[in-house]
Amino acid sequence: MISRRALEIAAAALTGIFGVVVIISSIDNGIGWSSAGVDAGTFPFLTGVIIVLGSLYNVAHGALGRGTLANVRIAITATEVRRLAGLFVPAAIFVAVIPLLGMYLASAGYVFAVLALPRRQPVLRALVIGAATPLALYIVFERMFQVSLPHGALAAAFGF
Amino acid sequence: MENLESLLHGFTIAVTVPHLTLMVVGVLLGILVGVLPGLGAPNGVSLLLPLTFGMQPVSAIILLSSMYWGALFGGSVTSILFNIPGEPSSVATTLDGYPMARDGRPTTALATAFGSAAFGALVGVILITFLASWVAQVALAFGPPEYFAVYFLAFASFVGMGGAAPIKTVVALGIGFAIAAIGIDTVSGSVRLTMGIDELVKGVSFVVAVMGLFGIGELLIAVEEEFSARAVSSRVDWKEVFRALGRLPQHGIALLRSAAIGCWMGITPGGPTAASFMSYGIAKRFSRSGARFGTGEAEGIVAPETADHAAGTSALLPMLSLGIPGSATAAVMMGGLMIWGLNPGPMLFVDQKDFVWGLIASMYLGNIVAVALVLLTVPVFAALMRIPFAVIAPLIVIICVVGAYSVSNSYLDVVLMLGFGLVGYLFKKLHYPLAPLVLAIVIGDKAEDAFRQAMLMSKGSLGIFFANGLVTTLVLAGMALLLLPLALQLLHLSRKPGEAAHERVRII
Amino acid sequence: MKIASKLLLSTAALMLAGALPAAAAWKPQKPIEFVATAGPGGGTDNLARAVQSIITKYKLTDQPVVVVNKGGGSGAEGYIYGKASAGDPYKVIFGTSNAWQQPLVSKVAFNYTDLTPIAAMAQDEFLLWVKQDAPYKTVGDFLKAAAASEFKMGGAQSKDTDEVLTRMIEKAARVKFTYIPFKSGAEAAVQLAGGHIDAHVNNPSESLGQWRGSTQRPLCAFSPKRLPQGPKVTTSEGWSDVPTCVEQGLAISQYEQPRTVWLPGKVSPEQAAFYVDLMKQVQATPEWKEYIEKTSQVDTFLTGAAFDDFIKKDLEHVKQVAGEQGWLVK
Repeated sequence: MISRRALEIAAAALTGIFGVVVIISSIDNGIGWSSAGVDAGTFPFLTGVIIVLGSLYNVAHGALGRGTLANVRIAITATEVRRLAGLFVPAAIFVAVIPLLGMYLASAGYVFAVLALPRRQPVLRALVIGAATPLALYIVFERMFQVSLPHGALAAAFGF
Repeated sequence: MENLESLLHGFTIAVTVPHLTLMVVGVLLGILVGVLPGLGAPNGVSLLLPLTFGMQPVSAIILLSSMYWGALFGGSVTSILFNIPGEPSSVATTLDGYPMARDGRPTTALATAFGSAAFGALVGVILITFLASWVAQVALAFGPPEYFAVYFLAFASFVGMGGAAPIKTVVALGIGFAIAAIGIDTVSGSVRLTMGIDELVKGVSFVVAVMGLFGIGELLIAVEEEFSARAVSSRVDWKEVFRALGRLPQHGIALLRSAAIGCWMGITPGGPTAASFMSYGIAKRFSRSGARFGTGEAEGIVAPETADHAAGTSALLPMLSLGIPGSATAAVMMGGLMIWGLNPGPMLFVDQKDFVWGLIASMYLGNIVAVALVLLTVPVFAALMRIPFAVIAPLIVIICVVGAYSVSNSYLDVVLMLGFGLVGYLFKKLHYPLAPLVLAIVIGDKAEDAFRQAMLMSKGSLGIFFANGLVTTLVLAGMALLLLPLALQLLHLSRKPGEAAHERVRII
Repeated sequence: MKIASKLLLSTAALMLAGALPAAAAWKPQKPIEFVATAGPGGGTDNLARAVQSIITKYKLTDQPVVVVNKGGGSGAEGYIYGKASAGDPYKVIFGTSNAWQQPLVSKVAFNYTDLTPIAAMAQDEFLLWVKQDAPYKTVGDFLKAAAASEFKMGGAQSKDTDEVLTRMIEKAARVKFTYIPFKSGAEAAVQLAGGHIDAHVNNPSESLGQWRGSTQRPLCAFSPKRLPQGPKVTTSEGWSDVPTCVEQGLAISQYEQPRTVWLPGKVSPEQAAFYVDLMKQVQATPEWKEYIEKTSQVDTFLTGAAFDDFIKKDLEHVKQVAGEQGWLVK
């Protein structure tokens, strides 16, 4: 599905882009030496350059298929992608709805959906775990340690 | 022995029913905040602080420091069981602790970690008891160039040890440094690398990065490898707890060396995080089983845990005698000292004998209480590994999300954490090493500050790093640690080409 | 920062003596969040927690109060959070003069005008400190030595209160210092004790332990009159024995750091009035007096026009120093 080479190149490109962003934003802070000592942008600039150079090397290395992992042709198979998405996509949806639903509703829904929908667990057990999770969060965070978790726009609309 | 007398006097203060009760309460609360990533000892301690305003200072500090011990122990639990380090100083523990737990030996891993942590703490307290005044003098010798040299030493002993491709290590380190630089720069006061996101002015918290890179990243690796299919068989086994403790003396040299590193880094400004990384790096290099580090080796747990606790304990000394907090938690406690009307500083040991020695006595007792309680919980925690993966996975996601949020009540942190999760997966998959990246996030900006402060003092001359015996020794030791393995490798390679096949095993 | 201290005192007295406004009709209906623009253990954090514990002890409001730390970016994190919470009367931001000083010198995404000022409570004084065994006994000796060789002056953060004061001394005494920024005043104090720097301008609480332990001593206080008499710090001296800088011939008559309290922008006057009133009640308790004494701060209370006035004067002053140093952001 996804070849090792493609993955290596993608990762190196990602780090390279990060390096370029670092270089560009550090130029604003000034590079070199002034009356206030080493300028604020100097070290970030140097790290940015190192990241870019390293990424270029890694791109070349990946494209040529060298290195210790060269014998591994396929990095991620189609089934593996499906399994990864099965974990990550619901997690991302969970995070995305937190501002609207708040941590408690979102986590209850997330746990229930992940457990009950793929029929991995009996619905009743999923319901119990789904209800227990936000309750435990509420007791430990809100009550014991006075950390207020987000209640969400929906709760705010109802005046909580 | 004047100190011994004072200590005995301290015990008469600490060993009372109310104080022992406070210790148990403090330790239990500490274990709880330590286990929950994102909460951590500083939060717990600052939350209890207002409760202590009405207490005797010595009772208050016993409660708070017991909580600190509990949190130090608790922090290792999630590192070992789920690869989520709750505190920066437990990152190095994940490197061997997690593989061991996944291998079906969570009880052994936890007991080994707690046993060696207790040893480290004990050495730290003994140091405080007998060398308090001398240690305070040593700490004063550290100015910016010396600070930099200490950080350099920590980097040198850890980096370059891995088997990962060297250029990938360099890129990972660079990314770590860049992340550490995000936010307001201490030396110039200007805002750096916020990339147009205003809220990033606060910087990227280590906990957010680690929870994503390690917690979510590991979860993704696990589903991909269908780890879900292999349920870990871990019986609740009390005997194994004692067997694991019994095996600790076999690692005598590692214990002593790590405790020494820990005490040294606790007194000097390195702190527990640098101590645990440095100790792991040095153990990997000099231990007989060093080549197997990263696969669940007991000594790979002993080294960072011992050093972490030795440093965490001895870090309280500079706080009391000089007023420099050696860790975030120590900073909160220092705030408490002021509010109780005590002033940390050289005279505390003279003016407030009861307070200081009561605290030191409570460190012995508090650690004993903490070890006993935490060992009792080992089988309970180990049993968590038996929960089916399908159930535990969403719970780990929730722990990471809530943990990232509670660092500074910020939704942005949650999104960042998820992003770090993808990066962690990708890096792990492609054998980019994560540990140097994390080390760079934790001490990268401190090292940079120290370097630039030193440059201000010397007006740009690098000679300041060789200006006195202390700093010269530190810098040379760092260089030796950095170059030695390279030299050995070159020698090795010239003799036996094509030996790189074992690399896979050693990558962390 | 030459605020007529008479004005300041009389306003405070007026506020305390005057009848509490009866129009404080608004009451909180849900938990209140105190946002400390400092990490746990910092001076601002301690203030927020002290206020919280007093409110809880005397049940000054029915709703629970929670303290949240947002100290990233030298406090900018907390102010930006306050700005983003516009219209929300359940977030109270505790800060310092940073609220108006920081936007001048750094590109941070807030300004104090984004917030609703409530009050300035408690002021921290500044003193000039040298190492205990330094040869100079007076400010005159110190400045003479400083003129001969460039002294290293430490302080907390860059382009912040400590550096502003350092630059003011430079100007007033015609000397040149190398300013070395550290993370906190406590760190600067230890660096001075170790002899790595020559002087710093710490607040009393930041160096109290060091003075008592004879590792450093104050030369003068940047205050119009001597600090209030308190218990002796060392065997022979207390805060009131420290001469003012003007007495010693260094013409900086006043420099202090207020602890400020804010609400987010766009809250109603009734909501603001509730908190002004709340803070006044806090200030009237014996616990508050004790807190002020233990942290060696000066008790003040500025609100309304007096507070605005204070900000304006301070801003003008800092603008001038920052302009001369070339710190102003474009």
